[in-house]
Amino acid sequence: MIAVPESARELNVRIAGEAGQGVDTVGSLLVEAFAEMGLHVFATQSYMSRIRGGLNWFDIRIADRELFSGREKADLLVALTQEAVEALRTEVAGEGVILSDKEGQHGAIGLGFAGAAKAAGGSAVMANSVAAGAVFAVLGYDLKHLVSRLEKEFGRKGEDAVRQNVGCARKGAELAAARGASLQAPDPVRAPAHVYSGSEAVGLAAATSGVKLVSSYPMTPSTATFAFLAGVADRYGIVVEQAEDEIAAINMICGAVYAGVPAMTTTSGGGFALMVEGLSLAGMMELPVFIMLGQRPGPATGLPTRTAQQDLKFALSAGHGEFPRALFAPGSPQQAYALTRRALETAHKFQSPSILLLDQYLADLRKNIPELDETFRPIDRHVVENPSSDYVRYAPAPDGVSPRALPGSPAFVVCDSDEHTEDGHITEDLGVRVRLQDKRMAKEKGIVADALPPELYGADDAEHLLIAWGSTYGPCREAVDVLTERGVSAAMLHFSQVWPLDAEAVRSTLGSAGARRIASVEGNATGQFASVLRGAGILGDCELILRYDGLPFTGEEIAERAAS
Amino acid sequence: MIEKWPGSTPAWCPGCGDFAILKALDKAIDAAGIERTNLVLVSGIGQAAKLPHYVKANVFNGLHGRALPAATGIKLANHKLDVVITSGDGDMYGEGGNHLLHAMRRNIGVKVFVHNNQVYGLTKGQASPTSDIGFVTKIQTHGVVNPPLNPLAMAIVQDCSLVARTFAGDLEHMGEMMLAALTHRDGFALVDILQPCVSFNKRNTYQWYRERVKRIEDSHDPFDRGKALELAFRWGDEIPIGIIYRSDRGSFESKLPVLKAGPLVEQLRTG
Repeated sequence: MIAVPESARELNVRIAGEAGQGVDTVGSLLVEAFAEMGLHVFATQSYMSRIRGGLNWFDIRIADRELFSGREKADLLVALTQEAVEALRTEVAGEGVILSDKEGQHGAIGLGFAGAAKAAGGSAVMANSVAAGAVFAVLGYDLKHLVSRLEKEFGRKGEDAVRQNVGCARKGAELAAARGASLQAPDPVRAPAHVYSGSEAVGLAAATSGVKLVSSYPMTPSTATFAFLAGVADRYGIVVEQAEDEIAAINMICGAVYAGVPAMTTTSGGGFALMVEGLSLAGMMELPVFIMLGQRPGPATGLPTRTAQQDLKFALSAGHGEFPRALFAPGSPQQAYALTRRALETAHKFQSPSILLLDQYLADLRKNIPELDETFRPIDRHVVENPSSDYVRYAPAPDGVSPRALPGSPAFVVCDSDEHTEDGHITEDLGVRVRLQDKRMAKEKGIVADALPPELYGADDAEHLLIAWGSTYGPCREAVDVLTERGVSAAMLHFSQVWPLDAEAVRSTLGSAGARRIASVEGNATGQFASVLRGAGILGDCELILRYDGLPFTGEEIAERAAS
Repeated sequence: MIEKWPGSTPAWCPGCGDFAILKALDKAIDAAGIERTNLVLVSGIGQAAKLPHYVKANVFNGLHGRALPAATGIKLANHKLDVVITSGDGDMYGEGGNHLLHAMRRNIGVKVFVHNNQVYGLTKGQASPTSDIGFVTKIQTHGVVNPPLNPLAMAIVQDCSLVARTFAGDLEHMGEMMLAALTHRDGFALVDILQPCVSFNKRNTYQWYRERVKRIEDSHDPFDRGKALELAFRWGDEIPIGIIYRSDRGSFESKLPVLKAGPLVEQLRTG
């Protein structure tokens, strides 16, 4: 086992219990409180597909430096049920502390959360505040930071709610302090106070970019973005509609972008499968639709609440026929924000579909980062303002991008899912067919020219090169740090745009690839991105570091597997 | 290499009810005072779904069965547009059945003209969801065994704004019904058009319909839901045509607070 770098101080706090017990409530409370204190926070969630019972946990990693990934072991386990103690005690670090409800074996300190809440003048549901108070005491942090958070959290529920919850937090702190449990915690360092999840970052970017219609069918792990957009719909002027199914969702946004507004849908693999005919329609009609695809393990329903990077090749080839598309895969909340806007811009610039590949890990992870811009800055829709009356929708263009007019203008905008002539009308003229297919495919050249280059982290002549795409950015980055600390020469090449690829540019970035060990790190069972790189003539055979049990990679794990 | 391909003349069989529907619709659009550049004709796939190509209008000829969600998206993006759907019974009542239910539930302000010929034409003669029991085809070799879908009763139960039926063999009546739908300003309008298919439906012919269709009497109160349902259930020896049902229920777009500021497409300017 590789130890975490000693140079910086950090801790991993794990809150575990049944669904419906408030694991998320305590976790969110602590995340916000720690961020407000100026600690770097990185929170991840592991939950089961059920409303009540089971075993869920919420990890909050805190440090005096920026964090990019979660960690396997917890230093402090707060177990709201006895089952959580049994299941997770082996995942507690050697010097770690376990706080549990009942006094138990395995060194667990029983605090009787619900009983303590009642003793402090609160109700059983305030056990969450007792637990949060106990965490503060164990970490040796001033309780005033938690109190101020509780005031914000419960302020709108009235003074009594604030007073009771603060009382419960103090009781929890007292009880934990009386037992003498303590851990060396990192000192606050003025880290940014704004906490974002990947889901929120996508939603905020979409809203500020001018998305006006969101039509989706709820599906984990994409629903959080759908819900975020519903929450800001009045502020930004967005119609958010829950479609009857994913087929309706994609066809609604095809209609909406035809009529001129940026529109999007959020889904996961199974829902995306239902959308592929509509995706192909967008390819044929040259509609700038935007799809957020939150991946989870398949096939079929798979593991609904877990993470995976298994839909890359699916997204790449989804839809019958051939048409250009752009695929983006952010690796952090900041990238999720930037790339959502980029994906919408690319779709509109080239009148082609864009897909943003997220996954449960990135969708749910929370991290404090500099505040994201909330101002409304709609993207350029590349619309012809005053089209003439002899306008045709698919006029020949060397780059394949015909002037785009909207219905309601002086022009007639004619679009067909059948092969069509330049004026958009149905045709079976096979010469026209070839001409229009060539026109559509010509757009790919422009999309390639605009493609984002991969980002290199570490030395360009490193011995070990980790290839990452999408959400493995953070874990791979931490793996590079761990390896470097150990004196192993390592770097990461991260792709946030996974299609199309500028093969020549990537090849030159890879440089003397043959001289070192290259491993593709992916959350799937077959090494899909490595295969895409091979197909594009960018890379020959490489090592694969794969994980597909439904849980995310950690930096330590990748470092260990890469060096073995 | 073929030099000259056939152009955009209607791809329909001589005598097809679609010709009459095209003629009546083109006339009704003008009669309703609809600006052609403000009109979007939406369709799915099938012989009826080709109609938008022969009309001077904006056109969205989408996927089989998916005209309604596309039209819903268009209307939500710019509710000032006149959005009209022309498609067949296979497209609207079969492949797109779920969308029809939910478009009616939303009461989205689009006008839907269903060319209902009780048969699949483009795929050459299979049964449609509205084919009568006993209708024999190369697929339904022992005749259709399930009763036909009743789109009008469904629309009344869902409280659609306007529900009507007409007959492609009665140009005058069809024009009246189309005008009523096109000038109906708020909510979902469904006009089921009984349309003979001269190639594949030898059962429900012009003659067959002429002997059965009967104009609904002026005394019928279309706001009476019970009476409307009773009319919708009539099929066989007598088939009522006319405006069967009306409702005052507001459209989906009229209930969305975000649209009070104007069409979404006009909400993209900054400052």
